[in-house]
Amino acid sequence: MEDFLYFFTFQDSSIVFVVIGITLLGLGSAYVGTYSFLDKKALLGDAISHAVLPGICLGFILAGEKNPIYIVSGAFASGALATFLTSWIRSNTKLSEDAIIASILSIFFGFGVVLLTVIQKSGNPEMAGLNQFIFGNAIAILEEDLIIYGGLAVLIIISLTLFQKEFSLLVFNPDFGKAIGYPMGLIRLLFNVLMILAVVIGIQAIGVVLMAALLITPGAAARFWTDRLGKLLIIAGLFSVISGIMGTYISFILPQMPTGPWVVVCLSFLALFSFLFAPKKGVLSRTISRRRYLHKTHRDHLLKAVHHGLEQGKKYLTIEEIYESFPYQKSKTRQSIDSLIKTGLITRNQNFIIPTEQGKSEAKRIVRLHRLWELYLNEYMNIAPDHVHDTAEKLEHILTPEMEALLEKRLNFPKLDPHQENIPRDYDDL
Amino acid sequence: MITQVDNPILEIHDLIVSYDQSPVLWNVDLSLPSGKLIGILGPNGAGKSTLIKAIMGLVTPSSGYVKVFDKTLEEVRSQISYVPQRESVDWNFPASVLDVVMMGTYGKLGLFKRPGKKEKDIALSCLDQVGMMSFVNRQISELSGGQQQRVFIARALAQEADLYLMDEPFAGVDMSTETAIFHLLKEMTAKGKTVIVVHHDIHSAMNYFDWIIMLNMHLVASGPNDQVMSEEMLRKTYGGKLNLLTKVTDLIKQKDFNPLKS
Repeated sequence: MEDFLYFFTFQDSSIVFVVIGITLLGLGSAYVGTYSFLDKKALLGDAISHAVLPGICLGFILAGEKNPIYIVSGAFASGALATFLTSWIRSNTKLSEDAIIASILSIFFGFGVVLLTVIQKSGNPEMAGLNQFIFGNAIAILEEDLIIYGGLAVLIIISLTLFQKEFSLLVFNPDFGKAIGYPMGLIRLLFNVLMILAVVIGIQAIGVVLMAALLITPGAAARFWTDRLGKLLIIAGLFSVISGIMGTYISFILPQMPTGPWVVVCLSFLALFSFLFAPKKGVLSRTISRRRYLHKTHRDHLLKAVHHGLEQGKKYLTIEEIYESFPYQKSKTRQSIDSLIKTGLITRNQNFIIPTEQGKSEAKRIVRLHRLWELYLNEYMNIAPDHVHDTAEKLEHILTPEMEALLEKRLNFPKLDPHQENIPRDYDDL
Repeated sequence: MITQVDNPILEIHDLIVSYDQSPVLWNVDLSLPSGKLIGILGPNGAGKSTLIKAIMGLVTPSSGYVKVFDKTLEEVRSQISYVPQRESVDWNFPASVLDVVMMGTYGKLGLFKRPGKKEKDIALSCLDQVGMMSFVNRQISELSGGQQQRVFIARALAQEADLYLMDEPFAGVDMSTETAIFHLLKEMTAKGKTVIVVHHDIHSAMNYFDWIIMLNMHLVASGPNDQVMSEEMLRKTYGGKLNLLTKVTDLIKQKDFNPLKS
């Protein structure tokens, strides 16, 4: 608790720097990453983040110390080389994109690890902490680092905001952009530069291995919550910043803990939460709406059973008769009866189930849709009468009033379905 | 049967286009009159879309050139509007109908600038023309195929161009939408616009187009509807690929370079 207060009341100015740094970093990478996720280029981000490692090591070797300018320039250069090689190989060979990206990723990262080992063997006293670039250590962000990393993050955020419509075109319809005379090649280049920069600014806090997660996961998780680009960017940024600060806090209270993995754990938690609980697109909400739909179909079928009773001249059905029409589904049937009584479509008198006027009309509507669809399949699609029942049984629940009106008009308000059964209308008395 | 015109709105001179190695268009040479509704007909793989893309500069020709309003493409881009194939974009992109139609105004707006009220008004009036006013804020993935086509056409209208190039705007469209779109295109040509449409249905082509281009990797015909639409031309267009041409294409494919490239 003490740690919690110490951290979140920002008494320590170094914590303020770290939090500002991780917030800018989170916003920048989520912003770029959301576009590359929408552009289906998620893997490229992964390749770039691994590919900056040799550049970091070369920057260190050249500077002889952990100079942020050397390291950032080195990382940017090798990230750029990897991106350029990826597109060059794609346009000059017949290799598929996934093979190219996988090779670039492992070759660059492997070379980076070799350089890292060489540096460690050299016994340079400055090399302590170079390992942090693999998994990140946000607590080690110093004021001078913040100026460089934070400055680059601000640059990314401003460029993306200025070019929002250009980058949307790039992702949605680049050919159209080219057709209206936009320099799409340059815009693609600028976007790649921003993507590499987004990786580079994360190397100190998150580390090269996990930076790809910070690029892609926020956008992917936010996609569950909205269908609008503006909101998507805001939610992605929010997810990213929350995870960034949480991860930093954990690596603050538990020394020896790298920041990157904890940021990714927090992000994954948010992504899982979105996947499960987001309204409309989440698993839970989809399961519930499917269950609701199945219950509705069962109630519809029950009403149809009552209607068939009326067609045979029975003013009511006994509960047993209804249970018999739905074998092995007694509890479900009981539920449906209860909810139909609640909505006033049927009434129950001791053991008898009697439809209300409203219930009769609803039952007629369902039977009517079923038989109209059967007739449509038979007349317009030449499907034999004994083959039309199954799809009608499914579609009767979803045909809209507009579709019903269209069917009635096309079929010229028919009296009989393909099985010579009456198509019931509201004015029919049963 | 190729009719050339004086003062053409579009002139294509000896255009050869290849993908990788294989040539898909051979020496297309034609000129088109302005203010007409023009259809490009041909079987699958005839190079119809490629021709449109070459006109728009989206593919680089191996040789030949295109002139619009007697100028190069770059000089007159703002007067040309392009409707790509519906399948060429990802409709799951998080955008509303209005967002997509607004893209039509981006060309005149230029880089950096954000669309404002004026652009929104243009977009709304174009949506009105294609009868999609009630879908303004709808997410684009929730639209039917015909509605997506209408959104694309509205976006093209928002460009306020003089020449329109449309790649299969009738693919996946029901009959009533097709008729409505054709009437809209007719209205546009009545106002002096030129509309070029890649199309696949010969029957409706006969009814609606003023001028017809028939392609089958090479130009079979280009001329007024009543002169071009004949059994002989249709047989030349749809009666299979020329045997020798296919053999030459295969031969070129086996080379390590494209000999047609100038």
